[in-house]
Amino acid sequence: MAPARSATEAKAEAAPEMTFADVLRANQSMVFSLAYHFLRDRGAAEEIAQDVFLRLYRKVNDLEDARHITFWLRKVTSHRCIDYVRKRGSQSSIALEDTAEPSVIEQHGDPLLNRRLRQLIATLPEKPRMVMVLRYQEDLMPEEISEVLEMPVRTVKSHLQRSLAILREKIERSMGDIR
Amino acid sequence: MLAIKTVFIAWIALAPLGAQEIKLPASLDRLAAKASEVVDVTMDANLLQLASRFLSDKDADDAKVKKLIAGLKGIYVRSFEFEKPGEYQESDVEPVRAQLHTPAWSRIVGVRSLKSGENAEVYIKTENGKIGGLAILATQPKELTIVSIEGTIDPDQLSELGGHFGIPKVEDDSQHKNSKGGKDE
Amino acid sequence: MEDFERQLRDALARKEQPPSLEARVFAAIAAGESKSWTFWRWEALAASVLALAALGAHEHMVRERAAGQAAKARLQLALKITVAKLSKIQQTVRTSTEE
Repeated sequence: MAPARSATEAKAEAAPEMTFADVLRANQSMVFSLAYHFLRDRGAAEEIAQDVFLRLYRKVNDLEDARHITFWLRKVTSHRCIDYVRKRGSQSSIALEDTAEPSVIEQHGDPLLNRRLRQLIATLPEKPRMVMVLRYQEDLMPEEISEVLEMPVRTVKSHLQRSLAILREKIERSMGDIR
Repeated sequence: MLAIKTVFIAWIALAPLGAQEIKLPASLDRLAAKASEVVDVTMDANLLQLASRFLSDKDADDAKVKKLIAGLKGIYVRSFEFEKPGEYQESDVEPVRAQLHTPAWSRIVGVRSLKSGENAEVYIKTENGKIGGLAILATQPKELTIVSIEGTIDPDQLSELGGHFGIPKVEDDSQHKNSKGGKDE
Repeated sequence: MEDFERQLRDALARKEQPPSLEARVFAAIAAGESKSWTFWRWEALAASVLALAALGAHEHMVRERAAGQAAKARLQLALKITVAKLSKIQQTVRTSTEE
């Protein structure tokens, strides 16, 4: 199922000329969410989002169209997040209990389960974690994830398979059977 | 890499703020590091003028804002939200309050709720019979907001912004009296 | 497995960005992208304009528009917070007067 597109996203893609503000508004939720779901740190996610859009501003005239911009944003955000975690060194694993949630109302599914899943995803190693976020937040196919992360497709698929198995097992242990 | 949020606030402390009348203390930098959410807006006369050029006279909302800021010299906002109470002290706010306890400024509203721990004060500065500045100090257990507006300001024009740009409506007294007797809208 | 994948999609649905993000981005652009983040607003803007004259009028317009939009976004944010606080204070005063 493709992620819902906002009216702003649709407009930005259709309009022949976009201002930088249009591009920012069309993509800021995506960029922030990628960073937030990966890092589970709202402040760090906002910093990374700000940095990514600042880089985009310098680069935007080199990018062809809205689709290219979205690809570029996903790629840069993903790599920035992974670099951020690696620089943090030993803090790359996030304690399950210490991840604060932004105060948003869950619009989909079981809030408790969602929270638990997000916590568990945050315990995955960086690359599989980003693969999962790109797959299930952005609904990207393995081939698309491979391009974003510059990783062989078979590696992407392997990360997906293993991560799903790990998460399924952990969630069943913590919450009971999932139907 | 330095946290951008921290450096952004640090710049505020390091750079002289020109003609800013209410000096926001450097100790507020420390609060930014502890806050889960920080809003930091510093707009001097030049930035206000720049913003004004991008407010359209043809758009009713933009026109209201343009009219409001025409006489302003600066707008400064620091707002911090914290995960838990006790992250800031009265001593963080006191340097600002001390500047407002001068003859030029008058406290026109002070409200305190023992139940919720909320405390809010509104100060105005009068110059030549007009309001030449507005300051708000609003504290809650997990939130601190300081607003300083310098220059000629019409509070009625400020109220008129309510209901636009996602700004909540400020009920005036006549609206409140009417709504008490009739149906809710 | 499909159910579990649906649950993952629900859990990883996009979050709304903080309201300050847009203003921060534009403020950073207007700051002239100085590496040390020391920032003299008018000087930075003037330096940007001079550099951009060499790059062409179009790019200049784009950047100036971005800086202006930055300033407008920051202004709206500041006014939003101010009016929200005043509204709340007014409500509190009204409530305590009625009691």
